[in-house]
Amino acid sequence: MFTGCGVVSGQNQYLNRDAVRPHPGLEASRPIQMGNGVTPGTCPVYQGQIYSNAGQSAVVNNVSSPLKTAPLPVPLSALKLGQEGFKKVCRTEEDSPCPFPGLASGVLEMRVKEGSKIRNLMGFAMARMQGEKGVSGGGLSDGGLRQVVFTGSGRAVTKTITCAEIMKRKVGCLHQLTKLRYKVVKEVWESTEGGNSEMTVHRTVPSISILLSKDPLDPQEPGYQPPETLSALWEEREGAEPASHTTCKRPLGPLPHSSFPNCKRVCLGEGVSVLPPH
Amino acid sequence: MSSSHTDSSSPAVEMDPVEYTLRKRLPRKLPKRRNDVYVNMKTDFRAQLARCQKLLEGGGHREICVHGLGLAINRAINIALQLQASSQGALQLAANTSTVELVDDLEPEDPDEAGEPMTRTRNNSAIHIKVFYPDPQ
Repeated sequence: MFTGCGVVSGQNQYLNRDAVRPHPGLEASRPIQMGNGVTPGTCPVYQGQIYSNAGQSAVVNNVSSPLKTAPLPVPLSALKLGQEGFKKVCRTEEDSPCPFPGLASGVLEMRVKEGSKIRNLMGFAMARMQGEKGVSGGGLSDGGLRQVVFTGSGRAVTKTITCAEIMKRKVGCLHQLTKLRYKVVKEVWESTEGGNSEMTVHRTVPSISILLSKDPLDPQEPGYQPPETLSALWEEREGAEPASHTTCKRPLGPLPHSSFPNCKRVCLGEGVSVLPPH
Repeated sequence: MSSSHTDSSSPAVEMDPVEYTLRKRLPRKLPKRRNDVYVNMKTDFRAQLARCQKLLEGGGHREICVHGLGLAINRAINIALQLQASSQGALQLAANTSTVELVDDLEPEDPDEAGEPMTRTRNNSAIHIKVFYPDPQ
């Protein structure tokens, strides 16, 4: 099924001759448990994998000046690069098109990075969303934006989701659309020992974009999540009706049964229809 | 998990009504639907990926749902994207997010102390990704 090669098949560099491999096998990401003191935040990152459907340009890792001989044990993870005496100089994201079709141009885009402080992000976003509603509702002016997009990649994905959830809680009745895709990130590493050697690494990381909108969105779109008007008290439902066939038609819609007022304890969102939809 | 040295925070050991039921809920969904996959950080990534693959191809499910909580969100997304990539675009993804409450129980380190066990609630983000073959239309 998939090549089950934990290590990226020892290909030393992504001097991948075969640029776009139709990917019969899966090159699973190397779990970046590099043995020692792994930073807990490392998530499996796809090192320069090329996906046939992703339409990305050939992800080639250029080693501008080969430090060591060609069969370099590819320093794929940040940890390893750090150990080899490299320092990250800069990291640029390659821009991919916005995944939301037909999005209004006046939408606020919040780019969540790994080091972003949620407090700062939310302060800014909430001020925008909760400002006075624009007269036309278009939200172009400073007050009363109708839509906001949170995007994050790599380690910032969890934080992105957290920001979106916080906003949903504070500003109720927001429609949500979530999109997942891969993003190619280019990093430039430089050697600390001097010697002007540098390496450019192309890394493919998972990225998420969450659109929150006061206006209703298309429910047929994959990734759509309706606003939670009545919070589901799971324990109540589970306790009272263990059979669960009576409950929720949860798929996408406010719960028919929850007659509880908005409880502070928001447990699980409606999410995907976890119970058999039909 | 309960170390007696410091303030021990063990998730959901006590019969806290909120937590108890909450903890019961998550695993209870698991046997309910065969096509639910809960991702964690302990099991090998490839093994979890293979399990999803098997469900989709061998198990004949038209869709599976991949869940991830906290740090496992990244892994869940990776699994879903990998599944999509290996299917040459036949699969589609639909992601939903939610907030899950977690309760920590704090017990006083010194049993003689008069402090009572406290519970601390915190929220965590979770993601639920539906991986499915779109209906032919």
